[in-house]
Amino acid sequence: MPTIEFEGTSYAVDEDGFIDDFVNWDEGWMKCVKSSEGIEELTDEHKKVVEVLQAYYKKNGIAPMVRILSKVTGYKLKYIYELFPSGPGKGACKMAGLPKPTGCV
Amino acid sequence: MALSTERLGLYNPEKPMENRLTDLGPRHFWQYFPPIIQNNYGKWDYHDILEPGILVHVAEGGDKVFTIRVGGCRFMTVENVRELCEIADKHCDGFLRFTTRNNIEFMVDSQDKMEALKKDLNSRKHVTGSYKFPIGGTGAGITNIIHTQGYIHCHTPATDASSMVKAVMDDLFEEFRGMNLPAQVRISMACCLNMCGAVHCSDIALLGYHRKPPLIDNEVLDQYCEIPLVIAACPTAAISPSKTESGKKTVKIKNERCMFCGNCYTMCMALPLSDSEGDCVTIMAGGKVSNRISQPKFSKVVVPALPNNFPRFPEVCADVKKIVNAYASDANKYERIGDWAERIGWEKFFEKCDLPFTDHLLDDYRLQYDTYRTSTQFKYTDASWAVSKAVNGIK
Repeated sequence: MPTIEFEGTSYAVDEDGFIDDFVNWDEGWMKCVKSSEGIEELTDEHKKVVEVLQAYYKKNGIAPMVRILSKVTGYKLKYIYELFPSGPGKGACKMAGLPKPTGCV
Repeated sequence: MALSTERLGLYNPEKPMENRLTDLGPRHFWQYFPPIIQNNYGKWDYHDILEPGILVHVAEGGDKVFTIRVGGCRFMTVENVRELCEIADKHCDGFLRFTTRNNIEFMVDSQDKMEALKKDLNSRKHVTGSYKFPIGGTGAGITNIIHTQGYIHCHTPATDASSMVKAVMDDLFEEFRGMNLPAQVRISMACCLNMCGAVHCSDIALLGYHRKPPLIDNEVLDQYCEIPLVIAACPTAAISPSKTESGKKTVKIKNERCMFCGNCYTMCMALPLSDSEGDCVTIMAGGKVSNRISQPKFSKVVVPALPNNFPRFPEVCADVKKIVNAYASDANKYERIGDWAERIGWEKFFEKCDLPFTDHLLDDYRLQYDTYRTSTQFKYTDASWAVSKAVNGIK
């Protein structure tokens, strides 16, 4: 499994750049993803989305549906795309350290 | 070929959102219409099939469009597409189209041009001898096989698509170039029971199928998978949550409840089930999508499992051929395979196609009751006489 070195920490990732294990997530990982996902600056709004995703994942064992993410954060899908240009799956879930989305994607 | 540097410049990975064009949609089809199609749009009077693969449409004003349909292999190199473009440039003023079954159609506006185009297409062959652009696929014949990715690109297949399609089409090539069947026969192929494409509604359908339950990679399952999704993916509720001895979250599978659909692997890469011996090909028959005479139908399983014999799939080809031959010699004009099977009765279908009927073909999923025979109306077949004799029944 390849690893990414970022600011002194190394993260094991898969070929799409998703972290290998949710428990290995830390604040540094957010900065690491920021650089690869086309995000100019990490704001509190990014952090809020990540926190909501992580809280939902810890509680339920799955990533929330897009409509739930929208409803809980109060951000419309369009705004989530402004925050995370790659979208809620490839962008936000990756930054939150959640497993890679599966199915016919 | 070079990257575009005009207007918006090169893509700049430092600023991915700069000069980004999005939500443009596909190009409008009108600009790719040959002039004669544009001029007569919505004004067609009638059409005729001149010979297999060649159609003529006549407009109200008298304009004629000759269409030559040629088989396409669907997976094409750019070189192949360029050759198509070259032919279109030479004969059709640069216009061509692809059909919904991935055939290619060249359109010209006169008989002479059509003859020249036909001669050109027939002369082109691959170095190995296969026709590059075989003409056919119209009327009551067998046209292109709708198929999927297979081992070329997908991660859940139980068989390969392109190779099986090539083997079956080689066997049925004369039906592609002819129009000698009672009605058109649509064959389609999907390499797992996700059924991408048209297998559930085709006259003959080839389907990749697994026969072993998934392996469970307990060590990494919780890391890579969202366990509730895995559990919810199972149509027979064979999956339940579990813990490993070391306390890691995982799932357990009741193998006797598993019917090897592979849905859980789609949701979770820690549950692989592909298996070189277990994986097989299922044949279904009798589906259709048109509303002509009878309503659209789903195809039904008629052969439960044939081995994956790469690269030519002789068993699959033989059984498809059996069905096509029995249908061609027995069905009435305009009858699709499903109409024919329902008219003569499925028990006679199995007899005429010389296919064995096994317990795998009996539906046992939720709404199965409606598929059983709740009637005394049936016909004796060789198979039923054999059972009768075996138990000393009616002589």
